[in-house]
Amino acid sequence: MAYKAQYYPGATSVADNRRKHMSGDLEKLREISDEDLTAVLGHRAPGSDYPSTHPPLAEMGEPACSIREIVEATPGAKAGDRVRYVQFADSMYNAPATPYFRSYHAAINARGVDPGTLSGRQVVEARERDMEEVAKVQLETEMSCPGLSGLRGCTVHGHSLRLQEDGVMFDMLDRRRLENGTIIEDKDQVGVPIDRKVDLGKPMSEDEAAKRTTFYRIDNVSFRSDPEVIEWTQKVWELRTLYGFQPKN
Amino acid sequence: MKNQVSETDNRIQVEICPQRLLNPETAQMLLSELSTLDGISKAIIHGPRLPMTVSAGPGSGEDVDHAGRKVIMIADTALELSISVGRIRLEVDDADVKEEVRTICEKVLPFQFEFKEGLYFHNRLTVSDYAKYGPDANVEMLGLSDPKSNNPICILGSKE
Repeated sequence: MAYKAQYYPGATSVADNRRKHMSGDLEKLREISDEDLTAVLGHRAPGSDYPSTHPPLAEMGEPACSIREIVEATPGAKAGDRVRYVQFADSMYNAPATPYFRSYHAAINARGVDPGTLSGRQVVEARERDMEEVAKVQLETEMSCPGLSGLRGCTVHGHSLRLQEDGVMFDMLDRRRLENGTIIEDKDQVGVPIDRKVDLGKPMSEDEAAKRTTFYRIDNVSFRSDPEVIEWTQKVWELRTLYGFQPKN
Repeated sequence: MKNQVSETDNRIQVEICPQRLLNPETAQMLLSELSTLDGISKAIIHGPRLPMTVSAGPGSGEDVDHAGRKVIMIADTALELSISVGRIRLEVDDADVKEEVRTICEKVLPFQFEFKEGLYFHNRLTVSDYAKYGPDANVEMLGLSDPKSNNPICILGSKE
C-alpha cells in the first residue's frame, strides 16, 4: 500500500482544516487576476517584467555540482528574480489560517520559500514569481477570508483586536474595506495607494468562518475537545524534552 | 510634591466594552445619548489609533485617509475621532446613573457588550503626571488624556 502522508492528528473540523492547509488540498473560492495580485503586493508595476538580480542561470555557467544536478532551480531562481515578500495578518476571530499553518502550507507545497512565522502575522520570502505563486494560492483558496485576513507588509495591527462592526478585521492603514458586500483593496500591502480597486471577494459569514477556521477557540472548537491532538502534542513535547536532556559527566 | 487627592472617591467608575469596534456613527449615537445624562463627570474613549499618515515601512508619509476618522458631534461640540472606539470609561455620580448608562448601551449598541465597574481613572498625581503637569496640576483632569498625545481634553458645552 502506498504511503499517504498524515499531516495532523485529530477528528475535529479544525484538525481537518489544518490537514487541508498542510497538504495543499484546498478549495478555490475566488479569482484574483495576476495584475491585481501584482498591484496589491506593490513590488513592481502590474504588467511589467520581473526585475532581476542576476542573469538567468542558463547564461551564467554554473559550476559542476552534484546537488545542483539533483535539485532543479525554481522558475524564479532560474530567471534571476529578486527576493520579495508577501505578508499576511489573520484575525484570531476565526480567520481561516493561523500564521503557523500559512508557513506549513508554503514550506510543504512550494520550493525555494522562506516562511517566517510570528504571533500575529506570517511572511513568505522567495524569488518574486515563486512568491507570487504562493500568495495567489493563499489568497484565492479557503486559506483566506478577505474580511478576516489581510495582506499587510507593515502596520499589521488587527490580528488580536475585536472585529469592526461590519465584521471586518481592523486595519490601521485602511488598505481594504467592505463595499457593497465585497472587500475592496485600493492600497498595496504597505499602504501606498494603487491605481485600481481590487475586488478580493465576499467575506465569509460567521458560520462559514467558524467551519473553515484553523484556530482552536473555546467558543468554537476547543483544543481540549480533541483527545488525539492532546495525545500527540504531549508526545512530541515529551520526546523533545527527553531528546534535549543530555546530562554531561 | 503635594499629596493631592481627587474629590471623586465616592463616585462610581464604569467601563463599557462592546463586542465590536464601533464605527463613527454608532460611537456618535452612543456618546450623544450619554451626554444627555446628568451625573457623568468624566469620560474616556479608548481604542486603536487611526493615524493621519503611514508611519513605518516603504509607504512612510503617505496619507492614510481612514474611513473611521470622522468629526462627530456630541452635545454641540465637534470632536475628531483619532481612534476607532473600542472602550468607553465613565465616572458617574451614583448607582442610578450607572443603570441609566447601561439602559442607553442596551438601546444603542446592536451587539453584546461588557459593562464593568472598577477603577479606571487616576485619583492622585503620579510621577508621570508630576513631570508633565507640575506640582499644581488639576487632579480632576488627571488620566483623561494620553500623556504622549497632544489631543486636548474635550469639555462638553464649553467653547474651548
